[in-house]
Amino acid sequence: MRMRIVAITALVLLWCAAAVAQQKGTVVSMAPAPVVYVSASRSTPFELNFRIARKFHINSNKPNSELLIPTALKLSTPTDIMISSISYPDGEQLAFDFAPSEKLSVYSGDFSITGKVRPLRSVRAGTYRVHGQLKYQACDDRACFPPATLPIFFDVKVGKPPVTRTRRNPGQSPSSPR
Amino acid sequence: MKRNLLVILVVVVAIAIMIFAARKLKNYPHYSKLPTANVKGKPAPDFTLTSLDGKTVQLSALKGKAVVLNFWATWCAPCKIEVPWLVDLQKQYGPEGLEIIGIAMDEGSKEEVAEFTKEMNINYTVAIGDEKIAEAYGNILGLPTTFYIGRDGNMISKVPGLVSHKEIEDNIKQALNQPATAAKTQALESN
Repeated sequence: MRMRIVAITALVLLWCAAAVAQQKGTVVSMAPAPVVYVSASRSTPFELNFRIARKFHINSNKPNSELLIPTALKLSTPTDIMISSISYPDGEQLAFDFAPSEKLSVYSGDFSITGKVRPLRSVRAGTYRVHGQLKYQACDDRACFPPATLPIFFDVKVGKPPVTRTRRNPGQSPSSPR
Repeated sequence: MKRNLLVILVVVVAIAIMIFAARKLKNYPHYSKLPTANVKGKPAPDFTLTSLDGKTVQLSALKGKAVVLNFWATWCAPCKIEVPWLVDLQKQYGPEGLEIIGIAMDEGSKEEVAEFTKEMNINYTVAIGDEKIAEAYGNILGLPTTFYIGRDGNMISKVPGLVSHKEIEDNIKQALNQPATAAKTQALESN
């Protein structure tokens, strides 16, 4: 009996924790980004995955009106780490109850933003954190909420540069390979 | 005995967390769950703003009139839908004493708002809002949010989100039908 009470309580606790975590004030959340492994001076793609809370939508990166606020990712990188080719998905063309005749370009549910990261040759091996923010403006089917920003980050792990081996003449250096 | 204490402790912690979670959920800006807050009969908080054309807009100076306080923004798609309705309603009910005030909650420039009002042929007063007025009206979480204020300066209702033209008109009629008794009494008292 006691075990049952403890089990039920634990479940309730888990539910509450999940609910609070989900509701942490933002309509958009980002899934933990995996570390991006890169070699110096090589472009490596990365992907950031976002989730929009149920019943909400946000404008796409290219909304159908100049007045609407586009979703935009801004990243500030450590010195000598370059970010390029930021690419947003196309928005869904949806009509809402409040404007059945007007289609809006929006994201809802899950969406991803991709890009490329390239450390310059001068960058030392190690892990670097890229910080940034996703600016978005959310609405539900009846109202819109003020523009908001979601702080984000992901790690870039720069590997050691490949050792440039000088070709040795086997005849002259018969040493065994490392 | 120790086990009993542990069970009680766990239950107490769970209840505490549930209360905390419930409070968090309450603050979550979801319109379908947003309380429309029972504002009926409460005096509308007074404010002074400057309209786009540079005139002073003071709510208390409008006693005796039915006031519609419409919080909106140029980036708000549902707000754009109701603007033409409000323009028509101002035309229709203006002679009966209706005063619509649009409070633009844009973060951008005043010029952007002015351009929008010109494009939309807005015929009612528009002023740029700020946090102070949003707070005075119970924190405006989403747009549009509309307050209907009777001739007596008391609130009739707060309507969050876009609603039908009919619902807006019904609220306006209610505000217009509100006798200005309190306003008259106050005017007499001040004399």
